[in-house]
Amino acid sequence: MESLVRFAREELGNPGLATLLDQPSFAFIQVLNSVSQGMNLFIIASGLSLIFGVLRVINFAHGAFYMFGAYILYSVAESYELGFWTGVVAAAAGLAAMSIVIERGLFRFIYDKEHLMQLLLTFAVVLILTDLAKMIWGTDQYSVSYPDGFGGAVDLGLTRYPTYRLLLIVVGPVILVGLMLFTARTRWGRLTRAATQDREMLGALGVNVPMIYTGVFILGSALAGIGGALAAPFNSPTPGMDATIIVDCFVIVIVGGLGSIVGSFIGALIYGFVFNFGSVIVPNWQDVFPFLILLVVLLWRPWGLFGRPEGEGA
Amino acid sequence: MRYVLAVVAGVIALAGASAQAEIRLGVLYPIAGTGAVYGVPAMFGHDLAVDEINAAGGVNGQPLATFKRDTKLKPAAAAAAAKELITKDGVNVLIGGLSSAVGLAISEVARQEKVVYIATIPKTIQMTTTKLHDHVFRTASHTDFEGDAMARIVAQLGIEKLCDIQLDYAYGHDLGAGIVRGLARHAPDVDLVIELRPKLGATDYNAFISQILGAGCDGITSGLWGSHFVNFAQQAKPFGLFEQAKYISGGEIASHEIAGKMAEDYPDNVWSNTYELWYDHFDPSHVEFQKAVAEKAGTNETAMWPVLAYIGVKFYAAAATKAGSIESDAVAEALKGLSIDTPVGPRTINPEDHQADTGQFWGPMVKKEGVPYRMMDPITYIPAKIAE
Amino acid sequence: MESVRVMPRPVAAVCAVVVLALLVVPLLDSRYLIDLFTEIMIYALFALSLNVLIGYSGNVSFGHAAYFAIGGYTCAILLTTYEWGFAPAFAAAVIASALAAGLVAWFCVRLTDIYFAMLTLAFAMVVWGVAFKWRSVTGGDDGFVGVSVPAMLDSRIGFYYFTLAATGLSAAVLWLICHSAFGRCLVAVRENRIRAGFVGINTRLMRWWAFVVAGTFAGVAGAIFGMFHRGMYIESAFWTESATVLIMTLLGGIYSFFGPAIGAATLFVLERLTNEYTEYWPIVLGMILVGILLFLPDGLAGLARKLASYRSRGG
Repeated sequence: MESLVRFAREELGNPGLATLLDQPSFAFIQVLNSVSQGMNLFIIASGLSLIFGVLRVINFAHGAFYMFGAYILYSVAESYELGFWTGVVAAAAGLAAMSIVIERGLFRFIYDKEHLMQLLLTFAVVLILTDLAKMIWGTDQYSVSYPDGFGGAVDLGLTRYPTYRLLLIVVGPVILVGLMLFTARTRWGRLTRAATQDREMLGALGVNVPMIYTGVFILGSALAGIGGALAAPFNSPTPGMDATIIVDCFVIVIVGGLGSIVGSFIGALIYGFVFNFGSVIVPNWQDVFPFLILLVVLLWRPWGLFGRPEGEGA
Repeated sequence: MRYVLAVVAGVIALAGASAQAEIRLGVLYPIAGTGAVYGVPAMFGHDLAVDEINAAGGVNGQPLATFKRDTKLKPAAAAAAAKELITKDGVNVLIGGLSSAVGLAISEVARQEKVVYIATIPKTIQMTTTKLHDHVFRTASHTDFEGDAMARIVAQLGIEKLCDIQLDYAYGHDLGAGIVRGLARHAPDVDLVIELRPKLGATDYNAFISQILGAGCDGITSGLWGSHFVNFAQQAKPFGLFEQAKYISGGEIASHEIAGKMAEDYPDNVWSNTYELWYDHFDPSHVEFQKAVAEKAGTNETAMWPVLAYIGVKFYAAAATKAGSIESDAVAEALKGLSIDTPVGPRTINPEDHQADTGQFWGPMVKKEGVPYRMMDPITYIPAKIAE
Repeated sequence: MESVRVMPRPVAAVCAVVVLALLVVPLLDSRYLIDLFTEIMIYALFALSLNVLIGYSGNVSFGHAAYFAIGGYTCAILLTTYEWGFAPAFAAAVIASALAAGLVAWFCVRLTDIYFAMLTLAFAMVVWGVAFKWRSVTGGDDGFVGVSVPAMLDSRIGFYYFTLAATGLSAAVLWLICHSAFGRCLVAVRENRIRAGFVGINTRLMRWWAFVVAGTFAGVAGAIFGMFHRGMYIESAFWTESATVLIMTLLGGIYSFFGPAIGAATLFVLERLTNEYTEYWPIVLGMILVGILLFLPDGLAGLARKLASYRSRGG
């Protein structure tokens, strides 16, 4: 092992890799970093994937929803001092309300249009929402404190790790299981799944399909709001925070397979690991890796790791 | 087709109005989107200077008029805006710029169009060295001064293992290089273990934080500014990074914009810099200046950016007065070696490299009984000089 | 669908008027207008090139900015860092864009629809990443600033006429391509890929060529852009730039050859004018976009056509 460390440091000239091999605690922290970053992204990406699965719309505005979540949390928790967790709930509720307006007022007109039209309409919503956020919250940057009891770190034996990050590591799987139970066990969930398969048939059976669409859109958007709210303490709400997150979410959702929740979960983990370990082993190129994964996956399995091939073949 | 013609006619009409009996200042700050948190306060200082000069009868009998454009904190947008200010609004000078990349882009337009550009905020050393030209002048400090001051603090604190984290663009790279040069002068024995380069606008710093922890550094040098620092600090605190290492930062995180806003969230063991301290006063004129800025901004405390924008305008007015002209070459000639008094002391522009001798306040950020934010104490003014 | 090789008379007349109008712009003696029209022509060509892919072959690229950026950076770097002459640098830039487009297209034509769009996006972001991280060559996040432009293009008016000639010629070539047998095959592929395959069209090859043509002319536009601004910046490769050109194309109308150019001019001028009065350009653009998508699916060109036919019916 020692010779390997020396090899990495001296022959490869890669201090990051050497430290990784040399210090188990460092490697362990990187694993936790990867998972916690992945889980925060999963919360947001799962909403995007859920919406695509049913509505067949890739929602560019999802990043803006995330930003609104962070801003709402700031207003509720910091400006009105109603507490952090109230802020999270308010973010979810706020996004649910917003999404009803957007879905009923705009999106429902484009379900049968081409993907290009849909993508551009959602992009138009991005433009409108980002300016709206600017009108409401201005262009200041805000600092959000960690919720009580989560500002410190926990001793995990090998290392100390921030409590709040550990919370994210727990919340991610909880949301995964919750969404899976919802689709597998509840009537609404079963209808939702049916809607991804054949919406005409479902309509013919007397199911209120538009209602399902609205419901799924609310749920997906609320997840973006929760993701944004939970990110606020370590990612201060500022204009422009939507533009980076949406591309990250695209990568995750497509790598995992459009419409697959488990796929998003795995995709988010891959993203986290590649970003965090990549930044150690190939320093300073971490921002390009996600797109390389996306490329590889699209070339190898265009429908994603957990997606189903559909209408392919030219 | 008729539509196109109508638009053309409209554009011509708009472009037509150019007869002028005023001196036109083209001002470039990020005033709308990302970065407006700095650009908007800068405009307060700018407007204050313009108001003062106009109240005193203008420059050579002509009033100053401001034409402002948003740079969006992006070099491409800034270059396009600078060009439009010159060709459309017919401005006589360009003032401002925020972020080194933006400053370099505006400077390039100034070079092509032969219009004087006074850089009030960008600090990249390239502007007054490799990319220097006849029409660019800087009233801000620069990355070599800043890096040198940081290296001095590193030596003073007796740091042994140093980690450097800088944003991946002109400012970060040049500050990193400035620190390395400074270390060679002041602390040649310090071991610079790793150099990390997150991108401008990065939000997740965990991967970098753990690398600093893993490297076992007892000192960190950094130029993460604005929200970059806020996010970095919020993520690094729970790891105990600020207990393990002393954080020596350029990028003016001792300013009100950061220290005032973060209040009790501001981490321990930070040494930083600023051009302006709202709780410190240079002389009575400074007190008055702070009061006037606060009034313009509608706050009680002075942000840091106004003073920089203010000084830029004052330099231009003084140069145009000295030259008795607003013709670019004459103003450029007058700026060389020009000295003026500012609220934070006298400033002189070096005729060789067009750089003003703008120093900064440096010191540790400490907790004070009954004060909601961290204060710099003791305050040391490090002049713009590379000390051997 | 235009199926004649010769330009219909009204279209030819409008083209002649536009070219004449553009020829006299420098006589107005306004630096601002010269710059404005130079940039409009560049974006018009950029949008026209994208439409070969969208309007004629029905593939939506979400990464068209990549080829614009490759052309721009290649030309700028060769002119400045390597001090090449104008002609070889410009030619090399166009070839570089064509090669890059050829390579990417080879992968992308295997996919369709949303997956095609996402793969073009992924490739474009890799190009962005390279421009961002290859600092020693591209200048990274600061941009590649201070491009040396040959003396003959140094004057504003000289550059204007160069842009007019280059974009005009490119547009003419694109017109010929789109209205050749090749163009008609593309339309057939767009309308029904499977049936086009049955009648013996190699649909993948057709789409590959469309991609290459689009990328090549985006490269031409990019090379001119870099010289015009004396700099290239990584924003030019970012996905938002791809979105902008897509909006321009859509605004003008994808089922008309010149539609995208009209869209580019409109959007560009609109942005300049809106910025004069309000900082809230994005929200205005967003509203316009919603309007087009919900009420004008064929874009401005479609609207113009509708109005024309309405009037000719004597309404």
